[in-house]
Amino acid sequence: MTEAELRIFIGIVQHYFEQQTGRLAEMGTPFLGDPNALPIFDFTGVIGISGNRRGCVYFTAPSEMLRQILVHGGESDVSRENLADLAGEISNTISGNARRAFGHEFMISVPIVVTGREQSISLPESVKAYVMPFRWREQDAALVVSVV
Amino acid sequence: MFHLELGKYRNIVLSIALFIFFDLAVLVLNFVISSQISNDALMINLAGRQRMLSQRITKTALQVEYRIRDGKPFGNELTEFKKASTVFDQTLTAFSQGGRTTSGTGDEVNLAAIEDPTAQGILREARDIWTPLITAAKSLTDNADIMQASQLARLMEAANLQLLKLMNDLTTRVEQIASDKATMLRTVQVTGITLATINFIIILFHFIGHLRRSDRELEHAHKETADILRTTQEGLFLLDPELKIGSQHSTALNSILGVATLAGADFIDILRARVDQKTLKTAREYLDLLLKHDVKEKLVTSVNPLNRVEMLLDQGPGKPETRFLQFAFNRVKEKGKITHLLVTVSDITRRVLLEQELKATEDRARGQLGMLMEIIQIDPFALHQFLRAAADGLQNINGLLRDQSEPVTGRSGLLRDQSEPVTGRSSLVNALFRQAHRIKGDAAALGMSSLADAFHQLEDLLSELREQPSLSGEDFLPVTVQVKGLFEQIETIENAVIRISQVRGVATVEAPRPQHDPNTAKLPFVQRWRDFANQIATRHGNTVEISYKGIDVATLPEGLSSAVNTIINQFIRNAIVHGIESSDARKALGKPEAGRLSIYISQNDDGSVELSFRDDGRGISVQRIRDTAIAKGRLTAEEATAWDNRRIVGLIFEPGISSHAAVDADAGRGAGLDAVAELVVRFGGNVRIGTTPNEYCHFRVHLAPRAIVEGPAAT
Repeated sequence: MTEAELRIFIGIVQHYFEQQTGRLAEMGTPFLGDPNALPIFDFTGVIGISGNRRGCVYFTAPSEMLRQILVHGGESDVSRENLADLAGEISNTISGNARRAFGHEFMISVPIVVTGREQSISLPESVKAYVMPFRWREQDAALVVSVV
Repeated sequence: MFHLELGKYRNIVLSIALFIFFDLAVLVLNFVISSQISNDALMINLAGRQRMLSQRITKTALQVEYRIRDGKPFGNELTEFKKASTVFDQTLTAFSQGGRTTSGTGDEVNLAAIEDPTAQGILREARDIWTPLITAAKSLTDNADIMQASQLARLMEAANLQLLKLMNDLTTRVEQIASDKATMLRTVQVTGITLATINFIIILFHFIGHLRRSDRELEHAHKETADILRTTQEGLFLLDPELKIGSQHSTALNSILGVATLAGADFIDILRARVDQKTLKTAREYLDLLLKHDVKEKLVTSVNPLNRVEMLLDQGPGKPETRFLQFAFNRVKEKGKITHLLVTVSDITRRVLLEQELKATEDRARGQLGMLMEIIQIDPFALHQFLRAAADGLQNINGLLRDQSEPVTGRSGLLRDQSEPVTGRSSLVNALFRQAHRIKGDAAALGMSSLADAFHQLEDLLSELREQPSLSGEDFLPVTVQVKGLFEQIETIENAVIRISQVRGVATVEAPRPQHDPNTAKLPFVQRWRDFANQIATRHGNTVEISYKGIDVATLPEGLSSAVNTIINQFIRNAIVHGIESSDARKALGKPEAGRLSIYISQNDDGSVELSFRDDGRGISVQRIRDTAIAKGRLTAEEATAWDNRRIVGLIFEPGISSHAAVDADAGRGAGLDAVAELVVRFGGNVRIGTTPNEYCHFRVHLAPRAIVEGPAAT
């Protein structure tokens, strides 16, 4: 995954936060993570990538961040189902925009939402993943890109 | 010679000309016949006057007679008589022969002779009657007596009725002729107008139909052109000599150039905002060359500065996009004169990027080849040490990046507090730089220039960050990407080292081929190996064949002979238990049903012995040894991961490490190859191993002469 391609994913996340909440999500210093030591928060939307390249991209966020986004948008129902739906919506936005940007290069799946830290996420083995940390209203989230 | 090129308008011009001809013909005939009718009207008038004059002549002749008889003056009557006679005579002559006469208004008129035979007959008859009368009339003077007057009056009375009838007939005939001509005129007019009307109708229907067809064809052609312009993926347009874009262009042109309105736009203005000044100047000169100079189009195509041009296009607010475009120019000529340039614009961005990617791949491949060449020349131990250190250094770099994202206060999360001063990231850059610089120095010292270059690029990225007054997390993205590339490069080198060691192993394991003596294969010790192999194979449900080439082992010193025999026996056992697959499995792999064990033994001039043992079984499974070592507590999981394959394979010579699942007579206790190792150590030799999964396992043992002379060593 090239720097330009990573910037596309980063731009999608930042644009989502700016559009939905009016506040930019601050990006932290990106680093590499081993498959068994990647950040996973309460809700994770996973997008599979196949074709010429394979792997996955996921956006993971804690419940509190998702709750605040819902409240900010005027939503009073902050049940776990709704939080999961929001995580799915964010991943869907990433998936849709990525499909437009990379559609001719590789296939991008419909996202699935993984709840909790116990459920495992299938990642390419022996490949270090890019971890892009984000902070929004004192809450941390991360975009993880692991593609071979 | 004048040549009117009517082209497709020939028929319509001919039809209109015919229409005009009919109209003119009618007009001319109308004019001619009308003038004849006008002349006929005069003749009718004059013929009627002749009728009246015949009566007046008779009347005045009688009045002259009465005046003379009564002795009254008769001058006026005589004058009247002579005048009437003269006019009658002139008119009669003019009718029959043509000539001048006096009209009713007293004007002189010129008459053409009446050509009608009937009228001429009437005139001849009238002339015959009139001639004696005019002669008599001319003789009557002012001095005439009653005799003369009476004689004339009687003549006049006698001819009066006949002359009146003839003049009446003449008038009727002249009227008939005029009537005939009027009828003819109407016929001509009706015919002419009818023909002109028919012609007009033909023009109307034929040419309207033709025009409709032409319109339909034109509309169809226009639709086709519009479809092409709307559908084509290329930008198509015409440039006029003033370099203005034509009114029609392909729809794709707007998106290719990123301009909403193009019709009539100045092409140079469009280029100005998108290319550098030098390209713009060259492009203008090139277009001028194409438009205004008589140079061959194909000759100048190669100097087209817009053949592959990088353009910065505005794709919306804050979305500049670099594209590679290809402009092709073709002259449009009309009657040999250049009127326009047809411009074809293609977006070749994808092609160019692929070319760049291909070139980068080729460069990488060249780099990897260079790297391999570098690796081959480096001392393996030093290389191993360096790779470990480089990997650790990269882990440190990544750790620094990760730590920067972790909270200062230990609160769970991935980001430092945003209130942290920028100096934190500046310090990070310095720390990263130190690490990168150290590894780069080590790589350069070993002669690994390609790896040193890669770390140098990381330094360049960090130097750029040092120059920035403030740093955000996103600024470190290129650094992280470069670090990932370095991790991969180190891993590639490690894998290459393993493969090289395997290749080296195979190359060096291959024992020197001894002179082949077919009889050695029948020696007793070879037969014993065969028997031993068959026993084990039978127990394990497979079959093997042993081939031997080399010296007679019995000729070796006793200790050495015994050691060689033990080693071969252990290798045979190891190969059959761990290496040779079942017959079915071998068939499935396309191998001969019986496993092949190839043994070579030779003795060097210095007395040392080279022993080669090769089987064509499944080879050594590094992962299986690794798993066994962990399972038996020989290695921790971390150590097993950290050890390279070569080191892992070395474990097969350690006691207690057996990858055989069950303990049986032949294997499972982890003893066997450790005995080989012990013998080799005792004889001061060494063992090298070469293997390829599912193909072979090859041991080469060197037993040194020093140990033979000195006897078995302690270690």
